[in-house]
Amino acid sequence: MRRRTLLAGLGSAMLIPPSAMALAGCSDDSGSSGFTAGGDGKPGANSSGGSKVTGEVNFLFYGDAAGVKDYQKLFTKFAAFAPGITVKVTGIAAKTWADFANQVSTRLAGGQTIDVIQIATEGQAIFASKNLLEPLDPYIQKDQDYVDEYYKDNPPKFKDWMQQHASPDGKTYFIPGSYNTMALYVSGKVFQKAGVEIPTEWTWDEFLQIGKTIKEKTGAYFHAAGAGQFTDVMPWLTNNGASILNEDWTEPTLNTPQAIEALTFAKSLVDLGLSPKPGGTYDAPTLMAQGKLATFGGGRWPTPPLRKLNAIEGVQMVPWPKKATEGSPIGWDAWPILKSSKNKDAAWELIKYFMTPDYGKLFAVNGGAVPGRISVANSDSFTSDAPANMPLLVKLADIATPVPGIARGAEAQTAVEQAWLQGISGTTDPAKALGNAQTKLQGLMGS
Amino acid sequence: MAGNTTPSSRSGQLRQRSRLAGWLFVSPAVLLFLIFVLGPFVAAMALSLFSYDLLTPPKFVGFKNFGQLPKDSLLLRSLGNTFLFAFASVVTHLVGGMLLALAVNRGINKVLSYFVRTALFFPFLISWAAVSLLWKYVLDPTFGIFAFYVGKLGITPPLWFTEPRWALPAIIGIDWWHTIGYTFLIMLAGLQTVPSEMIEAARVDGANRVQTFFNVTVPLMTPTLFFASVITFIGAFQIFDPIQIITGGGPNDSTITAVMYLYQTGFQAFQIGYASTIALVIFAVIMLVTLLQFWGSRKWVHNA
Repeated sequence: MRRRTLLAGLGSAMLIPPSAMALAGCSDDSGSSGFTAGGDGKPGANSSGGSKVTGEVNFLFYGDAAGVKDYQKLFTKFAAFAPGITVKVTGIAAKTWADFANQVSTRLAGGQTIDVIQIATEGQAIFASKNLLEPLDPYIQKDQDYVDEYYKDNPPKFKDWMQQHASPDGKTYFIPGSYNTMALYVSGKVFQKAGVEIPTEWTWDEFLQIGKTIKEKTGAYFHAAGAGQFTDVMPWLTNNGASILNEDWTEPTLNTPQAIEALTFAKSLVDLGLSPKPGGTYDAPTLMAQGKLATFGGGRWPTPPLRKLNAIEGVQMVPWPKKATEGSPIGWDAWPILKSSKNKDAAWELIKYFMTPDYGKLFAVNGGAVPGRISVANSDSFTSDAPANMPLLVKLADIATPVPGIARGAEAQTAVEQAWLQGISGTTDPAKALGNAQTKLQGLMGS
Repeated sequence: MAGNTTPSSRSGQLRQRSRLAGWLFVSPAVLLFLIFVLGPFVAAMALSLFSYDLLTPPKFVGFKNFGQLPKDSLLLRSLGNTFLFAFASVVTHLVGGMLLALAVNRGINKVLSYFVRTALFFPFLISWAAVSLLWKYVLDPTFGIFAFYVGKLGITPPLWFTEPRWALPAIIGIDWWHTIGYTFLIMLAGLQTVPSEMIEAARVDGANRVQTFFNVTVPLMTPTLFFASVITFIGAFQIFDPIQIITGGGPNDSTITAVMYLYQTGFQAFQIGYASTIALVIFAVIMLVTLLQFWGSRKWVHNA
């Protein structure tokens, strides 16, 4: 993942660290932060707190200095949830989520004390496999109802994906957090100017046809074509029944006919002048706000920049155009407790706070990802002051394909992105480009 | 009796104090050298004998990492790219720096001279991260200002960062823009050490500007040229920042350099032992080339 300020031209962030957090106060005089019953009498995860656990928790997240400030506001109010716990927040502004995982590994090897980390899909498998993480099963057992209620409010496949891709031995190492899927941000203004109605879904052929009309009638570029693994490669692949790896992440599948077809189609957008030439840098939300760009891909993270540009009005979320099948990549962050943590009980209290609806709602307003709780993602906190049809990102989780997170993820991502860039720019034939990447990935995966 | 000292023991004490004072003065530099240069160097030598992924205990493998070097085609590619980059950097810096220094040294207005010197040196003060992002925007093939202006002339610029044959030249150009100010200052300082009487004498003897430049100025500036070439080569061989930020070593490994490969091996592939081996190779190459430069300097550098 790249920083949130780098958009289509570079390959966008998959998950953005939350910003502008604040914490609802909670209190509870039990030994742990407990929960209160919801309106239907069933256990409702937390609005009570007042945990008696004490100590310091070191929390590491993917983000920059601005993110640290936002988290610090959050943890100022966390004091009411767990008064005896102080949280020390550190951000790592890495280039991608895979790079972030690498930097965390380097810090751990250097002896830095870390208790809880925000780890995305790309890093979960490797951390779990390196015996760095504390199994969460005893903690979950202790607060079973609390955690079950949270799981029930998550996308249904989350738990299975965590077990399949982030647990080498069947134990639970992560509590899933927020996530992103990929849809298209569509400019109603540009479409209106071209006299074209925004479809609720479209095929590749329809996408191309509409693109030509818009280019002809408005002069605007139709789509921001990039080479980001999550933002460009996976959406095109998954909407044609392809992916970077097979289902159990043991073999690369980049050189299938469907994958080559997807890259060839993406390239055609550049060849026809419907997409800006790739290879440099430009800001897609700004171009959309200026009426120069009709669509670009994204999860939740482009919404805050569009707000800053006062460009939300008229923008709508539409599924990616499909060929063989509907699809979307999905990536999520999750919270583990490090084995080396000196205060695992306090770390667990922090993770429990992350599971609360209150935290979710605050995250939903300004965060760059979809809150893990479906109830929150469908609420006003998430949908107001946002492009229309924002809950589409939640629905896409049902058909999504997890973004790969193999051991040498950073190198694999570079190989994939370079191949895609070579393909869409016409520098290398798509079949050859993907063939080269397939060979590189096979080498990296030892297959 | 206490307090009685002979002249020789007094001078011995003075010499000792003088030595101690000397050591105290150099101790910060020595400490920095030990911690940040010698220490890591010794650690790299030790680590090169191990297989180590940072997260599990290191495993002694002897010289296995060294045995891997000749079979590593990507390492050889990175070294090739690095030599190409360094050679181009040295040539363009020496020529460009000299020409700029000559232009500024030509007795132009003092105020203008200060302005030009500042303007030329200013890019050197900007961080590589800012420079890299700036040029990514400038050279964007659709929205960049470079494409905009050359488009007005009817020229379609290449895809600088996507075409393998253009990516490294683009990086060389960006590096030149960023660091030419430093070489320019060195050349300017060297030019100003050339005695004006020598130039006058040559002119009186009938030499034209070009002849004066090549037969008087350049020979007298050979120590400066030598210093600039050594420094430029050492810096260029370690190029990393713009490649990490702009191209990531691509397209098709056309811009991957030795230090970039070292970084990828150590901090992405987590092969610390092999990365240490690569570090030693880089050190050996730089040392060898520098020694060759010093040996060669006996033939062409005219020291006063």
